[in-house]
Amino acid sequence: MPLLNSLNYYGQALEVGARVANLTAANIANADTPGYKARGLDFKRALDARLQTHDPVRAQYVRGLPVGLDGNNVSLGYEAMQAASNAARMRESLAFLKGDTQSLITALRPQANGQGG
Amino acid sequence: MSGLYQISGSALLAQRQRLNLIASNLANADSTSSSTGQPYRARFDVFAAQPLQTNGGTDPTGAEGVRVQGVVTSQAPFKKVYAPGNPNANAQGYVIASNVSLVRQMSDLVSATQTYRANLAMLQQGQQIDRALINSL
Repeated sequence: MPLLNSLNYYGQALEVGARVANLTAANIANADTPGYKARGLDFKRALDARLQTHDPVRAQYVRGLPVGLDGNNVSLGYEAMQAASNAARMRESLAFLKGDTQSLITALRPQANGQGG
Repeated sequence: MSGLYQISGSALLAQRQRLNLIASNLANADSTSSSTGQPYRARFDVFAAQPLQTNGGTDPTGAEGVRVQGVVTSQAPFKKVYAPGNPNANAQGYVIASNVSLVRQMSDLVSATQTYRANLAMLQQGQQIDRALINSL
């Protein structure tokens, strides 16, 4: 079952990636909201939680960002970095997911030369 | 990633409304009287975070969109300009003009444009990933 496991793994990684993307979008959307505090998700912990238990990891406030006079601590530079690295991670997961799906389809074909099926 | 479209979409709407107010403020920067009889007062909108609405009620992931909570009018003092020929001038030849600060409006304009662009970029990135996801099937 390792191939099916890896399909599940990359599927879960994409789910967590979508959650991180949503949080980044929310932070950018609220860049001018008074009192809003930026939130983020620990990717590794969230993925482990999805793969092992069904107890979802909650979003956490991002620490160490400078707080403005209106109580808002969203930094567009930090969020742009988060968005870029998360997009790269999601593309990687997609590439591996696609490769494994193709391997699975090849394995399901009855003849070794890829014909039939 | 449908939540992302809702979030960034709400922000684009909110920032557009803010740009509308800035345009209104700039247009009336030199107004000496308005429909209320008083000179024009600068207007600013106040944003508030808005929890995402999904089919099952509020979104549990903690991601929030944004909405315009209200519009406040500036309480700054009015400008006093010496213009004896103006029909709105008082006995001493002074005209009371709007309290719009051009510097404040221009810095607000830069901030609103920057945030609008950032939201648009986020929306486009989400779209690209969705497209890649569909193409990989």
